[in-house]
Amino acid sequence: MFWSFFRVAFAAHRGFSWDVLSLESVELTVPSAEAPLLSGITLHLPGGHFGAIVGPSGCGKSTLLKTIAGILPHTSGTIRWRGRNLDEIDLDPHELGYVPQFTCAQPRLTVGENLTYAARLRRDGDAGVIRAEVDRVEEEAGLTHLHDRRAGVLSGGQLRRLGLAMELTTNPSLLLADEVTSGLDPKSEEEITALLASLARQPGRLVLLVTHSLRFLDQYDSVTVLTEGRLAYGAHPSGLASYFNVSTPEDVYPVLGDRATSAWAEEWISSPAELGFEIEATVDDLASELTTQEEPKASVPGFLSQALTWFSRRVKLFARDRTQVFLQMALLLVFPVVVTLFAYQGLPAVRNMTMNPDTDVVQQLRESLAFTVQSSRIGTLVSGLAMFQVILLALMGSNNSAREVVGERVILEKEKLAGLRPGAALAGMAAFLSLLVLVQSAWMTLFVRAVCQFPGDLGGQFLPFLLLTAAMTSLCLAISSWAATSEQASLGSLYLVGFQLPLSGAILALPDFLGWIIRPVISAYWAWSGYLQTLKDTRFYDLVRAITETPLANGQMATWILTLHLGLGLFLAYLGIRRSDWR
Amino acid sequence: MPRRAHQQTSPSLWLVAAIVLIVLAGAGAFFFQKENNPYRTVEILKPSDYLENANSLRGNTYQVEGVISSSLGSSPEKGRLFSLRISYADKEWPLPILVPRDYRELNLQKGQRYRLKVRVNDGGLLEAEEMSKS
Repeated sequence: MFWSFFRVAFAAHRGFSWDVLSLESVELTVPSAEAPLLSGITLHLPGGHFGAIVGPSGCGKSTLLKTIAGILPHTSGTIRWRGRNLDEIDLDPHELGYVPQFTCAQPRLTVGENLTYAARLRRDGDAGVIRAEVDRVEEEAGLTHLHDRRAGVLSGGQLRRLGLAMELTTNPSLLLADEVTSGLDPKSEEEITALLASLARQPGRLVLLVTHSLRFLDQYDSVTVLTEGRLAYGAHPSGLASYFNVSTPEDVYPVLGDRATSAWAEEWISSPAELGFEIEATVDDLASELTTQEEPKASVPGFLSQALTWFSRRVKLFARDRTQVFLQMALLLVFPVVVTLFAYQGLPAVRNMTMNPDTDVVQQLRESLAFTVQSSRIGTLVSGLAMFQVILLALMGSNNSAREVVGERVILEKEKLAGLRPGAALAGMAAFLSLLVLVQSAWMTLFVRAVCQFPGDLGGQFLPFLLLTAAMTSLCLAISSWAATSEQASLGSLYLVGFQLPLSGAILALPDFLGWIIRPVISAYWAWSGYLQTLKDTRFYDLVRAITETPLANGQMATWILTLHLGLGLFLAYLGIRRSDWR
Repeated sequence: MPRRAHQQTSPSLWLVAAIVLIVLAGAGAFFFQKENNPYRTVEILKPSDYLENANSLRGNTYQVEGVISSSLGSSPEKGRLFSLRISYADKEWPLPILVPRDYRELNLQKGQRYRLKVRVNDGGLLEAEEMSKS
């Protein structure tokens, strides 16, 4: 009673809400579920507090945590953080630390590198500041001795520590941990729980752990029990067993099934139960809460800094992925060789027709027939070589980016939640992919030109290939950013490349009206046209035109449309990266 | 206002993006297609008018586009005379084109397509002033 009086009196006197996190009648419904996932959740939690959210599987524990984090939008009710409605002013990236069930660490990076990149993406500061921050969180999470160890060889418990440490780089005041003790051996579970408890001792910080386990109850300041999305209990763990009238806390879950969910929820609402927090601790926390609010917080790094960090991390990850490096090298070397197999001795010479009007008719017909045969053979070869290069570059483009976003979607979402700008992530990805695109298109152009002895302007031939590879890479990046799974992204990208050849008109001309509709969206057509235009001053161009009914676009138009395709891909990729997709 | 962790794209943004894309593509097509013809400001020769009365067109400049079908003659002083086959009003027309002897820019071959800027000279012959492959 004293505590309730104190809270009300203090709040009225200072205009200050004691509860750092308060949920009022929070409800979450989704169209696909008949019953609400969360209903009538009312919670008030102070700072300097370690709370557990427990309950049987499917009761809404993780859903509640995600709702607090903003990952799932509640349909009614209010969530307040330090008195402000989060629907109006969201949590600052530095206020929130969210540790999901999955690991956000890159297995090919060391513990130190994972922490350094996390810190560089999330907080401003020079190399010295970042290093000091990494040292601090390593020590806090007990990872100092694992600094140089690759994340891929860490144990489950060590990985959870690393996940926590990555969140601690911003020193968040609200730390949400989703089942980070699940699946661990008892010793690791105890260590992680103790670590979280110690983190909650930091002034003003609230740590919430979702767990299925009812061991180590003595570590928590409060326990929130959920059953089918309703609140069945939310108070000090010492009162848990007596409230549910069981001998041990482990017996709570079986008892929950004995009564209807609504009965438990109504009983809790009407219960006069005290929160049971220790008065001395809360008064101390109140003082530290005020102190903490005055501490200057590090700011989120700038756009360019985040983009550079993403880029450098991506380059390092690529360099350490031997399979990926090997595959890229193989494609880079093999594809141009495959093209040149069809003209490894160089393009054949074109025999001209005599212009003498006195040649007899039979001779003229013979010449004309020979020229037609030659047109067909050489024209097909030149057109085919151009299109072959285009299709293989499109394949390389697809391979570059089809999994770039979808493969790391959860990590991306985590980083966005921690303050990463979607545009900066895209810029980092684009910078990395640009390197691949540049090398692939340059090598294809140079190698095929050298072996097949293609005439024409080298720069003019490189440009459409560069733009095509970039456009296909960006469009597949867009597919990757909108796909639900890696398989879906790969299939979508494959279809995109697969339709390029038949719809380009290089082999079979489309009917006129269809051509006008379809060609604008077929990148291969524009690259093929743009490349062939560089042969315009040669007989090869005439021979190609003789064998194809598809009109060839001029070089400027081809450059413009390919640039638009590239821009469209980047724009769609931006929207895809920007949208939330937590799976 | 949606929370940061739950960003979605509004339909209006899609609409604006689609309109911008169509406008850009259309503007590009309009602008770059025009660039294709270097003689676009020169009047197109009507072969029927020319064949009917070439003298009446003397001194005028026109553009023609066609395929060289044969060499009609050659003079060390004047140059080479070609027969150019052009399409106009759904018909094929042969036209005599004189290429001056000092013209060195293009290698002229039978069966190749060219676009020419021609002047009707005093003899009523079409004399090439500029040529490009098309």
